[in-house]
Amino acid sequence: MEQEENIEQSKFGRFHNKNYKLLLLIPILLLLFSLIYMGIFYYKNQDFIYKDVSLTGGTSVTIYEKVDIFDLELALSEKLEEINTREIYDLISKEQKAVIVETKTNGDKTKEILEEYLGYELINGKNSSFEITGSALSESFYKQLLIAILFAFIFMAIVVFIIFRTFIPSAAVIISAFADILMTLTLVNILGMKMSSAGIVAFLMLIGYSVDTDILLTTRILKRHEGSLNERIFKAFKTGVTMTLTSLLAVIFALIVVKSFSAILSQIFIILVIGLGFDLLNTWITNVSILKWYVKKKNEN
Amino acid sequence: MKTKLTWKIWLLIIIIALSLLSIFITSSGIAFFQKGVLVTNIESNSIAFEQGLRQGQIITEIDGQEIISIEDFSRIIQEKFPSDESIKTIFKTKNSEIILFSKQAPEIIVSEIPKTNIKMGLDLAGGSRALVQAQDKKLSSTEINDLVDVISNRLNVYGIADMNVRPVSDLTGNHFMLIEIAGATPGDLEELISKQGKFEAKIGNETAFIGGEKDITSVCRNDATCAGIESCQKSEAGYFCNFRFVIYLSEEAANRHAEITGKLDINKNNSAYLSEKLDLYLDDSLVDSLFIGEGLKGRVTTQIQISGSGSGEAEDDAYNNAKESMHKLQTILITGSLPYKLEIVKLDTISPILGKQFIKSIFLAGLAALFAVSIIIFFRYKKFKSSIALLITSISEIIIILGIASFIEWNLDLPSIAGILATIGTGIDSQIIVLDEARQGKLLSIKQRMKRAFSIILGAYFTALVALLPLLWAGAGLLKGFAITTIIGITIGVLITRPAFTDMVRRIED
Repeated sequence: MEQEENIEQSKFGRFHNKNYKLLLLIPILLLLFSLIYMGIFYYKNQDFIYKDVSLTGGTSVTIYEKVDIFDLELALSEKLEEINTREIYDLISKEQKAVIVETKTNGDKTKEILEEYLGYELINGKNSSFEITGSALSESFYKQLLIAILFAFIFMAIVVFIIFRTFIPSAAVIISAFADILMTLTLVNILGMKMSSAGIVAFLMLIGYSVDTDILLTTRILKRHEGSLNERIFKAFKTGVTMTLTSLLAVIFALIVVKSFSAILSQIFIILVIGLGFDLLNTWITNVSILKWYVKKKNEN
Repeated sequence: MKTKLTWKIWLLIIIIALSLLSIFITSSGIAFFQKGVLVTNIESNSIAFEQGLRQGQIITEIDGQEIISIEDFSRIIQEKFPSDESIKTIFKTKNSEIILFSKQAPEIIVSEIPKTNIKMGLDLAGGSRALVQAQDKKLSSTEINDLVDVISNRLNVYGIADMNVRPVSDLTGNHFMLIEIAGATPGDLEELISKQGKFEAKIGNETAFIGGEKDITSVCRNDATCAGIESCQKSEAGYFCNFRFVIYLSEEAANRHAEITGKLDINKNNSAYLSEKLDLYLDDSLVDSLFIGEGLKGRVTTQIQISGSGSGEAEDDAYNNAKESMHKLQTILITGSLPYKLEIVKLDTISPILGKQFIKSIFLAGLAALFAVSIIIFFRYKKFKSSIALLITSISEIIIILGIASFIEWNLDLPSIAGILATIGTGIDSQIIVLDEARQGKLLSIKQRMKRAFSIILGAYFTALVALLPLLWAGAGLLKGFAITTIIGITIGVLITRPAFTDMVRRIED
């Protein structure tokens, strides 16, 4: 209790009162950087992400045999279009279980080339499995996922407006969510990750997770009246950070387990880790500063 | 301390119990501890079938040796067959004993008894999946529904049991057909799809008529005066039901039919029929043989009665079996061959070997995540009871999601699993809000504090809900599993588990 009463006079309280507008510079600079980076990225690639074969169309072959992937990639990089390889190994024994070869080349040709290199027949369903996606389908699939995200975001924004019914606080929540997504997207591209359809789903999950803490913060500050503004912010911070940290830790633990195993789940988890990290910044600096500014201004009038 | 549980907690307990029932009570009872192998497929004209062995039965013993797994089954069968002379095999099922004499191994396919009702999607259980479109033609939703009907019937004709054919559409209004076959190779699938469904009715070596509009002008369906189940009889192995329906031939086909039957003799064994039968072929494989009444010899008739039968252990089974066979045959006769070629736009296969390890690894991931969460919660609140309540609530959410998934027979695929993980994450977030609100604003009653917590939780719920809706349709529904499990999860969270959790917290805090 004492700690809560002292927050107004504490060092941090005074610092925050003085500098909260200045703190906004951090997310603004990051957001600007992201916008510029994504602008250049889009200009160069005519797209928002690097797509993997599930979105470009092509073949993904999993071979359940021991294969040296470096040697394979070296030998076939000329024959198979945009080849990409990965290993799957047992979590405990670290033994190689399978390799995944992805390429834009079509299924039959890929099979032929791989068999020639490996020197044995690839029997689908026995020692290998094939996933083939037509390029026309992938194109429409990708577009629809983008539309899905766009609609998800718009729907979310409408609900936020309905909940709070005031423009600036609602806009603050939406800006924070938007910043989360944009910064995550930028970092994912800087890291050069090739995105699968599941990766796009991760962004949807991110909308949900990031808005959670923003709603908590905004409700506590606008709809509660006990304690000073800073006290309410600090209490919301304690709850919100616990929420985000538990999610973050759970995702990191899950990531360690599935990393060696499922490329799809790992990608979802990596994107969530990045996104939750940015969410800490955007909720507790971006959203808090805008709200504080709004409440102080309102109180002055 | 009060010992009475509130109705919200009781509701949670009841729902968990129902979910467990929905997960574990399978069609063959509580199968968790059951031994034996399940008959999943049996040739309907085999000796084993005649002797009364049926799909769905569980074989527990062969020749007095206990069968625990498929390995036991195949070991015994491989040791015995093939044999040079007819040998005796005794199958013991749960409530019957079947004795066979044969040289060949019985034509049955067995599998492990499913221990739960949880259905694994293809990416977890193994199998092939194809997304199919018409080549150079945009199909309307009625056309796609017809196509799904035709293909499912056709796959049934080929005796493929473990399959799922359904129409899917995407946001831009494209319609696809999705075919999933557990355990099939993509080669099988491609071959099945490439077949256009050629139907031929032959008498001897001559083709009398083929499926489709040209020869068959109409097929009587859903009209009791010219189509239906005629009679059911008891026989040695169970019941038989006969069906009949009328088809109308074009004049050309009727003339052809008359010309061929004119050349036939009267059947020596049964003078009511002609010497040759009318054989019905689908993609060159014989599906049925019908006797031709002697009165039809050489007569030009545009009206032909097709009959057949279905069988089953009980009268109801036989009736349904007959009805199904009739429907199958009617569909084939009407549809004939497809007027367009099909094209596979997406094809994936997952080997079940990987699937098994997959489930193990996901289970591990879930445990690891829960462990991580409980550590944070314990350090943050230093309250053992609240932390345990939180863990119990999260685990009960998983149980209820799985229970509902079993109940609606939802196939759990990888996106569904990701959805369950997402639910648990938001669930824990909500529970933290409840715990923190309970500790704050001590001037208010605990009831008011819980009400406040719920206003935040509801806000978060509705934003998450609307964000998931577009995913139900985008991308031909291939990621629908994610949306479905998450929506189920967060909804039961708001309606059942989180209210119960607030009551638990109220009791702990009081």
